[in-house]
Amino acid sequence: MSLNGSTSNGLQRLTAQLAPLLIVCALVFALPVLLNNDFLLNKVARYLVLGILTISLGLSWGFGGILNLGQAMSFGLGSYAMAMALKLKTIPVHTGASGLPDFMVWNNVQALPWFWVPFRSLPFAIAAGMIVPALVAAALGWFMFRGRVTGVYVSIITLATMVVINLVIIDQQSYTGGFNGITDLAQLEIFGVAFDAYGRATYYLVAGCMMLSLLVAFAFTKSRAGLIVQAIRDHESRVRYFGYDVALYQIFVFALSAAIAGLAGMLYTVVMEFASPTFLGVQLSLSVVVWCAVGGRQSLVGSFLGAVLVAGMQGALSESAAFLETWTLVMGALFVLVVLFLPKGLAGLAQVVWRWIVQRRQAAGGVAQGVGQTEGST
Amino acid sequence: MTAHLDLNDVSVSFNGFKAINGLNMRVRKGELRCLIGPNGAGKTTALDIICGKVKPSGGTVTFAGTALQDLEEYEIARAGVGRKFQVPSVFRELTVGENLEVARARRTSVVGNLRWDVRNAGGAHVERLAELVGLTEQLDRPAAYLSHGQTQWLEIGMLVAQDAELILMDEPTAGMTAQETRKTAELFARLKGRHTLIVVEHDMGFVKAIGDVISVMHMGQMLAEGTAAEVEAHPEVRRAYLGSGGISHA
Repeated sequence: MSLNGSTSNGLQRLTAQLAPLLIVCALVFALPVLLNNDFLLNKVARYLVLGILTISLGLSWGFGGILNLGQAMSFGLGSYAMAMALKLKTIPVHTGASGLPDFMVWNNVQALPWFWVPFRSLPFAIAAGMIVPALVAAALGWFMFRGRVTGVYVSIITLATMVVINLVIIDQQSYTGGFNGITDLAQLEIFGVAFDAYGRATYYLVAGCMMLSLLVAFAFTKSRAGLIVQAIRDHESRVRYFGYDVALYQIFVFALSAAIAGLAGMLYTVVMEFASPTFLGVQLSLSVVVWCAVGGRQSLVGSFLGAVLVAGMQGALSESAAFLETWTLVMGALFVLVVLFLPKGLAGLAQVVWRWIVQRRQAAGGVAQGVGQTEGST
Repeated sequence: MTAHLDLNDVSVSFNGFKAINGLNMRVRKGELRCLIGPNGAGKTTALDIICGKVKPSGGTVTFAGTALQDLEEYEIARAGVGRKFQVPSVFRELTVGENLEVARARRTSVVGNLRWDVRNAGGAHVERLAELVGLTEQLDRPAAYLSHGQTQWLEIGMLVAQDAELILMDEPTAGMTAQETRKTAELFARLKGRHTLIVVEHDMGFVKAIGDVISVMHMGQMLAEGTAAEVEAHPEVRRAYLGSGGISHA
């Protein structure tokens, strides 16, 4: 509250905001110690990946105000990049060094298509898994944001683009595996470490990437550029009259969000051991929006937890006999309730509760110790 | 003498309606120019043209030697033009301090802004600005919680933060109390000289308190220019305001 303490105030606030993020990361890393079940660990890793995907949507929707209904497009592209690399790793074993992936053989493809060739290199595939979605998003964003398309039209365009790419992948069976996706993959191996989908290494890989994504996204939102992006969300045209090229900021946050979604997609392939057109399907893409809204789209940790909790619940409900048929109804009701009563999601609820606790404690402390207890109250 | 801002034969029409029709206006550097006129005279549209919100269908707008009429809004802002809107336009979900921080647009590129301000170098500056517009207590509150008058002040503070050479103010005292209006007049007197200002106002008391030269618009054209006394005595101006009790009651 002191006037000249802005430096320490700023640092204090930053630490306070970083704390929940680090606590969540610590819990995620500690889980394998408590949970000695490889099958469950793989399941949790899957939810963590979906959490990363939801963080990426929170970045563009909650902070940039860009409701991307096609967030799964970036996810799917990343997933296919990884699957292509891992598929090519199986060739020497299955068909000899000059062979082709099995589904290409079934489809009478004679030579490896040009766009498959560079995926023989795993570093290229990993880079492509993030750069390709980012470039696609940047190109799409260039047309949308230069043309000052906003609001619901952005949602429609992103959704439609995703559906188009989804259909192209299904249609081009001889090059993409079509409806079946790309299955029967080799194991990912980096620096001699093999990432078995049911191994701890994979879990820690996912956890590490999740922490990295959270920190990168957090760093961006705390930068000046992140502040300007939030200003654009609040009042787009106003920002222009301060000399900022609004479209460039929107393209940047859109592409950054796509790159993180691409990373999540790559991890999903490792955890699930295949890539499928459903990874860039409408159902997943809209689910991400629900998770993000439930968790609180203006909070990165909230978005992440929203995905883990709701996706986890989805998994549990759809497997239980009682809710086998009705779990989508339960999810729909949850979404409606959150939108109606918790516009800032669970993160908003947590904030309200936290403020209430602090105020209660201050009221109690104020009586006991008089004034001077207000330092750091905000 | 060359003008700092020069509107030359500017026209604009909305669906065939000529909102601005051959408007000429020249403003000297450091001048505080008041722009008045009856409702629908085209005052706000004139500001919209200068800051690029509306593209003129004819004529030129020159500011400090730069032709503005074909530039994008952000390019015009970078050329040194700031704008306050009639409906206070601030970032409601950001705090007062963050609003001022965004307005302090020293660097405008995305990559140039990918930096943290952990030492909070801009903090002292922001606090000074908040003090100037009387919002020190509200620095950490979201702008959505401000009263109407405070929101007006915040946007004025944001324009001071932007430090534009030419500042366009559209009804800055609308919705303010008499005391707030007086404080605004004092602030404008301080800005005069360092910045060139164009102020659209209805409050004649305020206009007389701050303005050197008053420009009167009517039907999208410049009707008269001069001091308050000259303008009030001008027969065309009297006719334009006929039935509304003269310009002091407009």
